[in-house]
Amino acid sequence: MNVILRNLTKRFDSTLVVNGVSLDVADGELFFLLGPSGCGKTTLLRLLAGFYQPDAGEIRFGPRPMNGVPPNRRNTGMVFQNYALWPHLNVFENVAYGLDVRKVTGAERSRRVEEALAIVQMNDYAKRSPAQLSGGQQQRIALARALVIRPDVLLLDEPLSNLDAKLRLEMREEIRRIHRETKLTTIYVTHDQQEALALADRIALMRDGGIEQVGTPLELYRSPRSAFVSEFLGAAHFIEGNVVAVLDSHHVRITTPIGELECAADAQPGQRVTCAVRPNDVIALRG
Amino acid sequence: MKPRAFTPGTVAMLAGLAAFFGLFLVYPVVWMLRGAFVVDGRFTLEFFAMAFRSPLVVGALTNSFLIGALVTIFTTLLALPLAHLFTRYDFPCKTLLSALLLAPMILPPFVGAIGMRQFFGTFGSVNLLFGLNIDWLGGGGFWGVVIMLTLNLYPIMFLNVSAAMANVDPTLREAAENMGAPPWRVFRTVTLPLIVPGCFAGAILVFIWAFTDLGTPLIFGLSRVVSVQIFDRVTDVGTNPMGYVLVCVVLLLTVALFVVSKRLVGAKRYEMLARGHTAGSERRLSGWRAALVLAGIGAVVAMALVPHASVVLQSLADRWFFTVLPSEMSFDHYMEVFAHPLTVSSVRNSLFYSSLSAGVDLVLGVMIAYLLTRRKIPGASVLDAMAMLPLALPGLVLAFGYVGGFNWKLDWLNPRDNPTVLLVVAYSVRRLPYIVRSAYAGFQQTSITLEEASLNLGASAWRTLRKITIPLVMANLVAGTVLTFSYAMLEVSDSLILAMREKFYPITKAIYSLMGRIEPNAPSVASALGVLGMLLLAASLFAASKVLGKKMGQLFRAG
Repeated sequence: MNVILRNLTKRFDSTLVVNGVSLDVADGELFFLLGPSGCGKTTLLRLLAGFYQPDAGEIRFGPRPMNGVPPNRRNTGMVFQNYALWPHLNVFENVAYGLDVRKVTGAERSRRVEEALAIVQMNDYAKRSPAQLSGGQQQRIALARALVIRPDVLLLDEPLSNLDAKLRLEMREEIRRIHRETKLTTIYVTHDQQEALALADRIALMRDGGIEQVGTPLELYRSPRSAFVSEFLGAAHFIEGNVVAVLDSHHVRITTPIGELECAADAQPGQRVTCAVRPNDVIALRG
Repeated sequence: MKPRAFTPGTVAMLAGLAAFFGLFLVYPVVWMLRGAFVVDGRFTLEFFAMAFRSPLVVGALTNSFLIGALVTIFTTLLALPLAHLFTRYDFPCKTLLSALLLAPMILPPFVGAIGMRQFFGTFGSVNLLFGLNIDWLGGGGFWGVVIMLTLNLYPIMFLNVSAAMANVDPTLREAAENMGAPPWRVFRTVTLPLIVPGCFAGAILVFIWAFTDLGTPLIFGLSRVVSVQIFDRVTDVGTNPMGYVLVCVVLLLTVALFVVSKRLVGAKRYEMLARGHTAGSERRLSGWRAALVLAGIGAVVAMALVPHASVVLQSLADRWFFTVLPSEMSFDHYMEVFAHPLTVSSVRNSLFYSSLSAGVDLVLGVMIAYLLTRRKIPGASVLDAMAMLPLALPGLVLAFGYVGGFNWKLDWLNPRDNPTVLLVVAYSVRRLPYIVRSAYAGFQQTSITLEEASLNLGASAWRTLRKITIPLVMANLVAGTVLTFSYAMLEVSDSLILAMREKFYPITKAIYSLMGRIEPNAPSVASALGVLGMLLLAASLFAASKVLGKKMGQLFRAG
């Protein structure tokens, strides 16, 4: 199911947390909301889940307008940053909860729970209580719980941020595999640009409640629209300069303190620009 | 790391505490058990068999049990929705309303009962106003007791349930909503199971208090309850084993409930994750929703304040017979409180006893909390249990044990001659859990590295305690002491039992004794005295809550 956001705005008291965001997420896309902490990405996700109502703007899942629909009628599956597994229910009951609400019973219920646990490779843990699981295992159960209801949209809120480095790489592959298998429209919030670059179909980079740039990982990495985008996606050197000539539709020549450079840009002669040079694109040769 | 070394100071404190608890807690309990189970040096259940064949005893136990159970159910039904509203929503006047909801705690239920009789009696204001002839306090005062105790005890339940609810990570509810559960289902399947331990702890406290309350049934004239039966047997404590039997039944029941609650709560206390996203978890209400919530809470507050209002009215009433409101009103009774020898001496006595007991509690509380948080001592769990046991030990039982156990030829210790020492000790023991908790919380919040820095600079352990630790936990100590003092002022059952001679009466016993007089203005003078106590307690609770803030609720929890 595709997701459409139009001019979405959310205020807490007087602070503008989400500021006029418009996005189109295609059906089956693995879409990332990336940005530093406090940029409004989690608030945007919670607006999608229905935990907050927008002050202005529109949310649509496919043809259905979602404004005013309570969270329990949205059929989204959310994985919370702290997993939010219910401590009084065991793994099986946690996963079955959404099915119970949907009145799925008997053999069908067990079959689908088993299926969801199989996707995250946790079949052997059905009788455990969440407290007996490691962080990575809790993460998998939270994912299974979100998948079992066959959500229209899968929402992931910093799903890997509480895991150690090795597990994080492992779970990254898991999420990629699961997304390939389920083809669910997935919106993934993170502040980790490596996660986003490695997994995303497309990324929306956020800053101060607004969208800085939307595009594929390659587009954002290769053609950042601002110094902020470029810096956020990886270390870069910045060189100030003036455009002196347009070479073709994608390239210009600029003068800089270190000499004349040819670079990829869409600019007019006389314009003042900043060019970004990634360290790994600069090769040092033996003199 | 906690130092393990047995410094002379630690040993001295442990010895002092052991002596205190041994003499004033363990000894009287053992004495009562002996009185109930031992005859001529042999163990016997004969007295119990005798008791349970007596219709009076069985009837009293049944009534008390019913009162306890009904009050527990009613307070829970009141507290659950209130706690839900207060933890989940934001609405106008929230702070004011939450303070008003706790108002019942400043009025001992038996004082409220004096006014309630005037309002709800067969010839009371309500019947006269509506031209009815209903026995509101029906069943010989049974329902009066249930209503009065419900109104008095629901704040305890409310504080416990609110704390439990606030403890539930909001993302757990959100996860359920996200899975498609509508609000009621979220409450039933997620919130409720998670708050059960907290509710249960509160319920046990409320049950024990209602089950053993003495003053309220006395005022309503309900004698077929265990507490009144025990009270009536204080006078022949030396000769009749029935009193011991009843006390032991109460003691065994309350301790059993307390142990069960500890076990259940301990086993089911979930480690809540605190990391989730919590911003905006209180939903702001406005318009008709807010109006509805305010109306509901307002109704509860209004009900809860009826006893207060009735006592204030009664204290001003010069003549109040067969009329809705008093026909003549004046401030004379307040003047009389300051003139009458009984009331004057009772105020002086209460102030004296309460100050002393607050002082004793302060010393004991600091010692215990210090030992528990800062020293590695053997039997720390025993010490903790001893300090918390009084929560399960009704004042009635303790006082009965003192009367029986300290019938010694020491006139400064025997309550028949001079109850001062035992009254002070009884007050202290009863309120010790509050100050220990208060001090314990203070010690825990204060990083031990601050003390280590002092030791590192060459200060002794005693100097560190005096110069660093105590000043840092001062706020908690002050709050705990203020609470101890004010509750001691209004302690009912131990005062009624232990103060036997008029010259030693504290306020509560003076109120009770005034009620027993036939002078027509006695209820009014008693109420005036009650109002003064109420003002005092209100002021000190207000002061304590300013210092403790949201932690106030912790003092009234059993877990």
